[in-house]
Amino acid sequence: MSPLVSVKNLKKVYGKKKPFVAVDGISFDLQEGEILGLLGPNGSGKTTTIQMLLGTLAFTSGQILYFGKDFKCHRSEILQKVSFASTYTNLPYILTVAENLRCFGRFYGLADCEAKITPLLDYFGILDKKDEPVSSLSAGQITRLMLVKAFFTEPKVVLLDEPTASLDPDVSRDVCNFLLEQREKRGISILFTSHKMEEVADLCDRAIFLKKGQIIANDVPENLAKSVSSHRLRLTIGDGMKRIVALAEKKAFPYKCEHRSIELSFEEKEIPLFLQELAKEGIFYVSIQIQEPSLEDYFLQLTEKSP
Amino acid sequence: MSWQRILGVFFRYFYVLKKGLHQLSDLFYWPFVDILLWGLTSAWIQTYNVTDNLSLRLLTGLIFWQIVWRGSVDISVSLLQEFWHRNLINLFSTPLKLSEWIFGMLLLSSAKLVVTISFGSLMVYLLYSLNIFIVGWAFLPFVFSLILFGWALSFLSSSAIIYWGHRVEMFAWMVAFLFAPFSAVFYPVSILPEWARAISWCLPTTYVFEGMRIILSSGSFSYFYFAVSMALNVLYFTLCLLLFRYAFEKSREKGLARLE
Repeated sequence: MSPLVSVKNLKKVYGKKKPFVAVDGISFDLQEGEILGLLGPNGSGKTTTIQMLLGTLAFTSGQILYFGKDFKCHRSEILQKVSFASTYTNLPYILTVAENLRCFGRFYGLADCEAKITPLLDYFGILDKKDEPVSSLSAGQITRLMLVKAFFTEPKVVLLDEPTASLDPDVSRDVCNFLLEQREKRGISILFTSHKMEEVADLCDRAIFLKKGQIIANDVPENLAKSVSSHRLRLTIGDGMKRIVALAEKKAFPYKCEHRSIELSFEEKEIPLFLQELAKEGIFYVSIQIQEPSLEDYFLQLTEKSP
Repeated sequence: MSWQRILGVFFRYFYVLKKGLHQLSDLFYWPFVDILLWGLTSAWIQTYNVTDNLSLRLLTGLIFWQIVWRGSVDISVSLLQEFWHRNLINLFSTPLKLSEWIFGMLLLSSAKLVVTISFGSLMVYLLYSLNIFIVGWAFLPFVFSLILFGWALSFLSSSAIIYWGHRVEMFAWMVAFLFAPFSAVFYPVSILPEWARAISWCLPTTYVFEGMRIILSSGSFSYFYFAVSMALNVLYFTLCLLLFRYAFEKSREKGLARLE
């Protein structure tokens, strides 16, 4: 099956005298019904990539294909089936929610705008704000309005730049459920950037990690997490805090202390041996917690690695 | 009262003053334009002892200059609104084409101009009992010519705004008045010094305002002035439109997101 979006050797270089390579020849595909996470530390090229995919930033070289068509040549036709939402943009605040959405409906040539916006406004809990100016909405409500804007045009591909950044955890969870539901019902493909690794792990079928404009990983979130070998062992010490610190230093295990707790990082196979040594040393712990590596650990490992 | 806090307020705005083009325009540009425009008008009235239809001439000039000014700010200020509302990315990530945005803007500007002209004419009639349409509809072709020049100027300032962003936003309001002293709005071209006349005859507005004065004094319509103004307008409008398109593409190379 051919991908809905195909990015080939995409490159963005800013400036001529002192060129800065923001995106360095990246290639990836987005399949039909796939939710793809685009991750990476600040300045890694995520937003630049999204802007190029939207056509609001011209790329230096490479190619973007949507539905098998060249984006450069068929921009308007392609964007008919593509939509976008971001926490970092806004809507004209003097206009009401409905007026804003009606304008966007016209850009997409929608005939029955009202019928499409009402259920979505209701889903996101802002139907009562329909005739209110955008200026009266809270940051969280604006984020939800952005999602309504992105989905009421019935797109095939949705690009989301940190769509849950300003939302409360419960609303954030609802948004994630909504995205999964849209994928199930309508086979929408979603490209998603977020700093919430837990959310990405739950939502995305695949995650791409960018660093300094290059793709350094492209895999399912579980595999990326598994590639981090170290587990975290968290112990609350009853007696022997100084001795456990000395033991961790002797074995060169990274550790963090907080009051009577210590968190150590090492490979899974070393855990039983370490616990045996604690018993031998007479170190007494009152609670134990073993954490498997997560996508967040992968992210941290990635950002800590130099350069 | 604390001197430190007063100085805090002073420096808060002084730093802005040093950085913004619009603060500099408030200090130098607008006073200079006003002095030039009204100084030349006064000189014309005094030198030639103009009394015939003076108020009608001045008010007609004022209303029809509004057309140029209105047209020159409509498109650029609408563009600026997208910056202020952080809506530029939302707008141009839809199927909307730049040409469609331009046509939408021209449609809106036309509607606003009809309102402005109607309102201005009505006010002049009610307040001063002067009918600027006294000579019939001969004004209309000139009005169309003024609208075109206003739009050309708006695309000129929009080109600068889309390329350089907020720091040149005052250019939207300034651009028309850059040409006002040379456009012979309130006084004939003959009052201008030699060097300024050369600039003046390159502007379509000059032919329009001179043509209007002919209508007011003799009631005849100058086809020659109208033809020259339209020819210049077509040239300037096309050039400014092409410049705007070029500036937009150049801005897209830097990224439209930087403008929000």
